[in-house]
Amino acid sequence: MSYEPKLVGFLCNWCSYTGADLAGTSRIQYPPNIRIIRVMCSARIDPSFILQSLGKGADGVLICGCHPGDCHYSEGNYKAMRRYPLLKRLLDAYGIEHERVRLEWVSASEGQRFADVVADMTERLRALGPCRVKTALATDQIER
Amino acid sequence: MEDLKIGVYVCNCGTNIAHVIDAESVKNYAATLPGVKIARSYRYMCSNPGQEMIVEDIRSQGLNRVVVAACSPRMHERTFRNACRTAGLNPYLCEMANIREQCSWVHNDSVAATEKAMALTRAAVLRVACQEPLEGLTAEMCPTTLVLGGGIAGLTAALELADGGFPVVIVERADRLGGNLTRVDLTAPHFDSARDLVRERIAHVRGNPNVTVMLRSELRSLSGFVGNFTAEIATNGGKPTKVRVGNVVVATGYKEFDASRVTHFGYGKLPNVITSFDFERMLRAGRIETKDGRLPQYAAIIHCVGSRSEEFHAYCSRVCCMTALKYANEIKSAIPTCYVSDLYIDMHAFGKGCEDFYKRSSEAKTLFLMYGKGDHPVIRRAASTDDCDMLIEVEEKLSGEHIEIPADLVILMVGMEARADAADVAHVVNISQDKSGWFIESHPKLDPVATTTDGVYIAGTCAAPKDIPDTVAQARAAAARILAKIAKGKIEIDGVFAEVNEEQCSGCRMCNELCPYSAIEFDADKKRSHVIPAACKACGACVAACPSAAIKGRHFTDAQIFAQIEGVLL
Ligand code: FES
Repeated sequence: MSYEPKLVGFLCNWCSYTGADLAGTSRIQYPPNIRIIRVMCSARIDPSFILQSLGKGADGVLICGCHPGDCHYSEGNYKAMRRYPLLKRLLDAYGIEHERVRLEWVSASEGQRFADVVADMTERLRALGPCRVKTALATDQIER
Repeated sequence: MEDLKIGVYVCNCGTNIAHVIDAESVKNYAATLPGVKIARSYRYMCSNPGQEMIVEDIRSQGLNRVVVAACSPRMHERTFRNACRTAGLNPYLCEMANIREQCSWVHNDSVAATEKAMALTRAAVLRVACQEPLEGLTAEMCPTTLVLGGGIAGLTAALELADGGFPVVIVERADRLGGNLTRVDLTAPHFDSARDLVRERIAHVRGNPNVTVMLRSELRSLSGFVGNFTAEIATNGGKPTKVRVGNVVVATGYKEFDASRVTHFGYGKLPNVITSFDFERMLRAGRIETKDGRLPQYAAIIHCVGSRSEEFHAYCSRVCCMTALKYANEIKSAIPTCYVSDLYIDMHAFGKGCEDFYKRSSEAKTLFLMYGKGDHPVIRRAASTDDCDMLIEVEEKLSGEHIEIPADLVILMVGMEARADAADVAHVVNISQDKSGWFIESHPKLDPVATTTDGVYIAGTCAAPKDIPDTVAQARAAAARILAKIAKGKIEIDGVFAEVNEEQCSGCRMCNELCPYSAIEFDADKKRSHVIPAACKACGACVAACPSAAIKGRHFTDAQIFAQIEGVLL
């Protein structure tokens, strides 16, 4: 049976979520594998959201925020950016390919770019295959 | 907690959703989800009958949560929240699933899109179950306004507010009011005296008991939040005094581009190459002359000095073209025998009366020469045998010829740029600058005088180059926004903000530093931090960063987001 990767996207409200909406109003097609969750700013994205997603069955997680300098709250995306390398190390420690988590800047006018990012990431996840650590993470849960 | 009674409404959006997504199946699926009492689908949920359906169900079925699977929440969240409010349900107990912009419009595989719509709807149902009723807060609104800058923008905003009966404090760095406009002689295109304009404003400001003017003063710090700021203002570099203010108008203006940064015009080396501001001084003194006191026989005006250039400022400074035409007219009327040439890239004559002015000026025997963007005229000293002081070479674009023209006086139309201290001001009042240093508005089209900091407004040329009418309009707009808020007496604060659980807070103060709005204060006695709701913009940065998980981001709680994660991964 062919494998369809599951992708969870955390998008900031002001740029990226709006950019994703623009892809919609412009009728730009992209793979239906992504499920989007809206947060106000990329700075709100707690590493536990990513681990929780992977633990609950996601094969990849996409984090999108405003371009550097454009965050609605001025510097929230820098905070997200600083957390990202740490997160990657954490994933490595769990034995999860860190390519499964990606940080991208998508502005409110970049509907096409958003669609391209989703398409590209879906392809990569397809190539990587299912995330094997789901079960490991699910049992070793990081509940709050 | 009372039992969940969730109503789920799946919108067809005409055929916008239903042509790809099987809305009936989504509805039927939703009905099976935990806590769902009712699931319906309808052609247009946002229509009046659609909204009434929700209101009616809340009332008759006692629904305590609502999910609308429809368009983007950016589109209609407010609509459905209002419907809930109408029915007496707290609006924060409503959640949307975006099955149009992020589903039916971007996927054409019906099966996959329907499955995704189910997942998004499930996420919304699980999330809404964790949502809590929220109430906004109210806070006092201090009626005093702080105006930074005593130029035409600051004076105008101050007068508007003071005439409305409210106190205003003008803080001006210089030792006099009036700003850049006091250096200008006449205005374009109607030749009104700039001095008269400013004098009238200053006289009214001086005569208005509601206005306090603080000269040679600067704002050192601004703490608090809209309606309740404390400003520390220092005069003559002395010890700052504290003033309570409700709002701030930043009207700090511009500075002119330094022409000596451009080497090819010889400014600073050739004595008769002057800037537009040097020329204004001449006009105000009443005599147009060369350095050695002669009447110029040839005058040349060069546009876009420092503006519209790769090297300096990419933007157009907006006022120089019309000012240049004004100069051509003034030279012609003072010295009718003088030959005036005007070297421009493009003639920007937008705005009321300006195209007419351009037309009249071209009839007034001014020689217009167009040069290319990226190119520039070159000025050199003339030989002693020539009957002029300098020669200007230009690749004239319209004729395609290399032209040399004589000049005794060259006026460089210097553009506007952000003031050197703009970054400090931005930092103190917590607003942002764009790449050129101009202050950024909350929305360039719909909210041009507000900023991302509530209670801080921008007006005039500190936000971007503009002419006097636009500056005045902005100043009045900022004042009007503030008057509307003062009139309400209290400020309403949205129910979505962060909260510190003081039991869990370890007092590490990490969040204090992190908050871009200084909305988190540390209580030194309790050794705990707390959020000032009115200052919080709910970005959630502190929530994610708190090492003790002591901060809750209302309406974006961990539990709510975890529920959503679980939901989308069906
Ligand atoms: S609001 Fe988009 S990253 Fe902060």
